[in-house]
Amino acid sequence: MNKIASVFGALVLVVAFSAVALAGEPQVRLKGGIDKVIAILSDPALKGPAKRVERQKKLRTVADGFFDWRELSKRAVGESWPRYTPKQQDDFVVSFSELLQKTYILKLEKYNNEKVTYVKEQVEGNQAFINTLVVMKDKNIPINYIMIKRDQWMVYDVVVEGVSLVKNYRSQFSKVLSKESPEALLQRIKDKIKALDDGKNVDDVVGKEG
Amino acid sequence: MNMRAGLNFRGVARHVVAAASLVLLLSGACLAAETAPEVKAAGPVLLAYGDDDIWDENGQIIKRTVGAPNMSVADEAASTSDPLEGWNRMWFGFNDKLYFWALKPVAQGYGYVVPERPRLWVHNFFHNLMYPVRFTSLMLQAKFDAAAVETSRFIGNTAFGLGGFADITSDSKTYKPIPSTEQDLGLTFGYWGMDNGFYLVWPILGPSTGRDTLGYVGDYFLTPTSYIHPWYWSASAKAYDKVNEVSMRIGDYEALKDASVDPYVAVRDAYLRLRFKKMND
Repeated sequence: MNKIASVFGALVLVVAFSAVALAGEPQVRLKGGIDKVIAILSDPALKGPAKRVERQKKLRTVADGFFDWRELSKRAVGESWPRYTPKQQDDFVVSFSELLQKTYILKLEKYNNEKVTYVKEQVEGNQAFINTLVVMKDKNIPINYIMIKRDQWMVYDVVVEGVSLVKNYRSQFSKVLSKESPEALLQRIKDKIKALDDGKNVDDVVGKEG
Repeated sequence: MNMRAGLNFRGVARHVVAAASLVLLLSGACLAAETAPEVKAAGPVLLAYGDDDIWDENGQIIKRTVGAPNMSVADEAASTSDPLEGWNRMWFGFNDKLYFWALKPVAQGYGYVVPERPRLWVHNFFHNLMYPVRFTSLMLQAKFDAAAVETSRFIGNTAFGLGGFADITSDSKTYKPIPSTEQDLGLTFGYWGMDNGFYLVWPILGPSTGRDTLGYVGDYFLTPTSYIHPWYWSASAKAYDKVNEVSMRIGDYEALKDASVDPYVAVRDAYLRLRFKKMND
């Protein structure tokens, strides 16, 4: 009887491990991150406006652990990145990640039990590309993640319906940098954060030409 | 609603002739714009760090061509020239006000009164109604399988799905679920190899391109709601469709706008890339 149990136990273990082996390291890591976010968003103890600050703080901790903000900023600024001093670069990474977190965490708040399917995973050297599909009520949204291997696999770009976050910012930044100094761009990001903190902007109409 | 689609042959014929002449007229304008002195698109700046990109937006390995070594095809679409930028920015500002001052409050009020499920039915209804646009586009792209899927979906949803209010066919498991596509004539022209031409922002309609504008004209005549008589009922039907759609998307534009340092450029880039992706779906 005991023997059967241990054989069965071994079998279960093998099956469990092979399931993990099927999805590569980057995908396991990504899924871990997304599952954490979903757990926070669906945790009844964290629901409601009263828990808002606590909830957002937790989401931020998860995001900081999964996004390589430096790689993301560097790629978004592109060839102008060396125009910043190392100190300014640090400042840029902090400000830009702050802006992204402030705006996109609000979007996560609308989570409504959508399911995430992992479609495909590709690994080339120290980079990985993962296709996922978010199944919503009236349509499915393809969301792809590009990851890079550091100490762990980190996300540095997110592509929603063919629109890459990094490339979308690259077009904006290069537009601003074609007319203004790198310092001015950094200042713009900071001003934006300040405006968001002051609760302005959300319903503001587009102001002067950019 | 007193729909007269297809009943009045003379009327339809007149519309077709008008459409054809409009298409000719606009394509003339389009060609003229393309031969006009090249307007320098802010230059393919980019890619000091991005040129080691292995995959494009969909995860296809990038095959580097000689002409444009640092750009994926999607990047080329996204760098469509914007010769009318000042004009476009003006209408972008106008549309932004329209959204925050009119469309959004109305959609919010509507979404507050009408629960999500009925709004989904309305979405399905209008989507089903747009079948002629999708069917024609897919046939013109020689995607006969997808056109057949659309046709069976249309018949199924219209006959057994309460005239299209319920999207029953999206749940039907044949051997795999059959999602509907989003296709229009602008995408068809793109599929044929036509360039975007130039970026263009229309009042109310929003971001577009020379090519997509040409597509709008054809789409208009393929849209059943265009044939509702008199015109203000037709316009109301379209406006209602729009409000219903917006009620399910509140927050998307706000997030994009809040997160960007230049909302105009952010929207332009997103529009051009999204259209490019749909074209290749």
